[in-house]
Amino acid sequence: MTPRIELLRFITRKLAAALPLIFGVTLISFTLTVHFGPDPAYAMLGKNPTAADVAALQRELGQDQPFWQRYASYLHRLATLDLGHTESSGEKVRDLLGRTLPVSIRLLAPGFVLGTGLALLLAMFAAWHRGGRLDRLITGISVIGMSLSFVIIIIALQAVFGVWLGWFPVRGWEVHGPASYLAHVTIPTLAFVLASIGYNTRFFRAMLVNAMSTDHVRTARAYGASPTHIMRYHVLRGCLLPITTRIVYSVPALAISGSLLLESHFSIPGIGRVTYQAILSGDQPVLMAVVGLSAVAFALTVTVADLLCRLADPRIRLA
Amino acid sequence: MSFARAACAAIAAMLILAACDQPGSDGRDRVVYRHAIDGMPASLDPAHAANVYSSTLVVNLYDTLFRYRYLSRPYELAPNLASGMPEVSEDGLTWTIRLRENVRFADDPAFPDNRGREVTASDVVYSLGRHFDPATRSQGAWLWRGKITGLEEWIDGGADPDRRIPGLHAADDMTVVIELTEPYPQLAHTLAMALSAIVPREAVEHYGREFGVRPVGSGPFLLKQFDETRAVLKRNLDFDRGALDLAAEGHDPQRHAELGLGSLDGEAYPFIDRLEIHFIAEPTTRWNSFVAGEVDNVMVPPEQADRVLDSHDPLRFSPEIEQRYHTLAEPEAGFVLYGFNMANEDIGHHPDEQIDSANRALRCAMRQAFDWQERNDTFYQGLGQVFPGVIPPFLDAFDPALDAGSTARDPQQARSLLQAHEWTPETLPQLTYGLEASVHQRQMFEQFRARMSAVGIPQDRLRSRSFASFGDFSRAIANRELDLFLMGWTMAWPDAQYALQLFYGPNAAPGANSFNYDNPEFDRLFERAAALEEGEERTALYRQLNEMVIDDCVHIGSLSRTRLHLWHRHVRMLPDREMLGGYFLRFVDIGAAP
Repeated sequence: MTPRIELLRFITRKLAAALPLIFGVTLISFTLTVHFGPDPAYAMLGKNPTAADVAALQRELGQDQPFWQRYASYLHRLATLDLGHTESSGEKVRDLLGRTLPVSIRLLAPGFVLGTGLALLLAMFAAWHRGGRLDRLITGISVIGMSLSFVIIIIALQAVFGVWLGWFPVRGWEVHGPASYLAHVTIPTLAFVLASIGYNTRFFRAMLVNAMSTDHVRTARAYGASPTHIMRYHVLRGCLLPITTRIVYSVPALAISGSLLLESHFSIPGIGRVTYQAILSGDQPVLMAVVGLSAVAFALTVTVADLLCRLADPRIRLA
Repeated sequence: MSFARAACAAIAAMLILAACDQPGSDGRDRVVYRHAIDGMPASLDPAHAANVYSSTLVVNLYDTLFRYRYLSRPYELAPNLASGMPEVSEDGLTWTIRLRENVRFADDPAFPDNRGREVTASDVVYSLGRHFDPATRSQGAWLWRGKITGLEEWIDGGADPDRRIPGLHAADDMTVVIELTEPYPQLAHTLAMALSAIVPREAVEHYGREFGVRPVGSGPFLLKQFDETRAVLKRNLDFDRGALDLAAEGHDPQRHAELGLGSLDGEAYPFIDRLEIHFIAEPTTRWNSFVAGEVDNVMVPPEQADRVLDSHDPLRFSPEIEQRYHTLAEPEAGFVLYGFNMANEDIGHHPDEQIDSANRALRCAMRQAFDWQERNDTFYQGLGQVFPGVIPPFLDAFDPALDAGSTARDPQQARSLLQAHEWTPETLPQLTYGLEASVHQRQMFEQFRARMSAVGIPQDRLRSRSFASFGDFSRAIANRELDLFLMGWTMAWPDAQYALQLFYGPNAAPGANSFNYDNPEFDRLFERAAALEEGEERTALYRQLNEMVIDDCVHIGSLSRTRLHLWHRHVRMLPDREMLGGYFLRFVDIGAAP
């Protein structure tokens, strides 16, 4: 079997295995939303409804239909990407996601890339100087970063860079070109980097220190290889597997939860904010679309992570 | 690459990026006002505009028949789309409303040739009638149900907009006639609410469910952009209501001298080219954005009041704040109160007179055990106004001489009441206290329970039940699952009838009477009062109804919060959030920034 066919079979198998996962996630979340989630009908009623009004609205929302019929209809809509309309504004859910998802990606991408890159760099310095002053300094800063509340970081950055210095907007997303993008994304990115760098640095450092204790690294040092060479070709490669896994697996969680605080505090119209509003108001079409598509995204992420691990360590078999 | 070369490359890249940037607003938007509010509207469909966030936008995108005068307090109605105030027949049953001529809906693809057409009486009939189509999911149908002749039959017949409603029709293109089943003086107020705004049928049918994000109206502004963080509106150049008559709007040269509105008298409005409404829920972000000059106003939340106040009693802003900004402190047109579920025989109405009397004593004891002043100090910085009953102080019907004993903490009296009716820790009922899941609400519950505990009501007699959302909390109240709950009531019109309907029997849950108060005498007097025009007789009846509610200890309350508004000195306006506000935005002007 050629490697290409092996790879294709692997991807197909992974995606097929993801179907029960998607089915399970959607079923559980649908059940939870329908039976335990907020009831939108009572939030949508006027101030003085009658019992007949309540019943009419529940019929209009499809709440009188049997559970399995509603679930089947939901799966059908998800499969055909006909996600319906939001219960609140009536906007098409597809349009809503198409409008907000790109904003979230543009908001989070710089922080994610910078935060991960910077954490890796600091972890390398700390690991190389393990036990030294630099290591202690970086570890100390990481602990401080981990201890600080994300909200406090956001408020402090807004106050310093937005109000006091006036260099950047306090909030908003009036992006109509690269410069305005930079202006609006800088403080959220900085907040994201500061909030995430501690955890990442600590994790990466632990992995690197572990890899540096291995025999082949000691041998390379004994041969007199330069620190850069050793770090790049022997240490990083050795711990690429856990690092890649951590980075890839953090993407789906980041897309929803990571963006929520940033989008709320910086008034940015992204998907995290929309999802949060939908949770509060019980806007089921939005919630179920986000949950369903997140399940699909997670399944794809797992597949990508496995592929990357295979590339990082050829000893891992695709079978 | 050396560091210097890298730095030069970075600076060059930044300059190129800056040069590539295009401004968001076009250059003709010279006068821009940026208004901040603390929540976002879910929908811009007038049929869903039941809260202040939706109303603020809807009354500026659409026309209502009437509106409130800009500066008059107490609030006074004025014609808006109507050419004058309604002509009401002597028996109060027939209302004739004439419309302004040459008012046009905005151009939109929903119309033939994309050209908006004139607003007619048929549009008024359609706009009110669509509230009764279940597909509209209206939040305002209750305002007119049972009031208009033949409406129920028309609804039973399918609420077909092509069929005539006997009591709601267009006498001609510019005249609407409304025939009522009983006098309803509050009708004019309902026609000033955003819920009654006039929509074109073509747009409703063209956009279907998406009408909530694609407004087509005849108001002073047109929607250009709307998302979860802001709405951008542009001046509607076809909107022509003549010149601003400050005196008619209630301008008092002395009281309003600070506002600098004098120069606007006689000028055509709206005065701004672009109106941005920013939805900023986080108080700190809202404040930072205001101080940084990104928005022109802020409503200071109570927890941040110390930041701007020099003194709480008497309320006084700090000199620095007074110097830098316009300031306004005013009570809200609404109130918060605790309510008992009178449908629960353990604490509410009971067919056995003796038990009924003991239940009343228990409710009264709980009321006397609670400390409103402590609540005010703990959660509202002492800025709220505690008052007895449910007629808030901003209304004419408020009785300043009413005994405030029902709002004063009196643990001795509470204990006496419990003792006199043989309530002991063993015989006291287990009560469910409902709250929305938040730290704030939990703290309020603990404060309430501590006060009850102090008069001998054991803590385990009060059990909290929290709800993740307002919808779930509302559902529990509607289903009569809670025995005790804290609720807020925002007045939509300046008439005590709006507050007293909370206790009207036929409005029992799921209606506004969340207390399920059932008192035939109250209902009889309420019906009599509600049909009366404003006057001494009506005021006396309202006060009597208020006292009945106090005597029966149906609620524990009430408290009106104080709103603190700040706005930049170069903005000429008087902000108004009450009566589900928003009308003032058409009168805002911007002077030269300092």
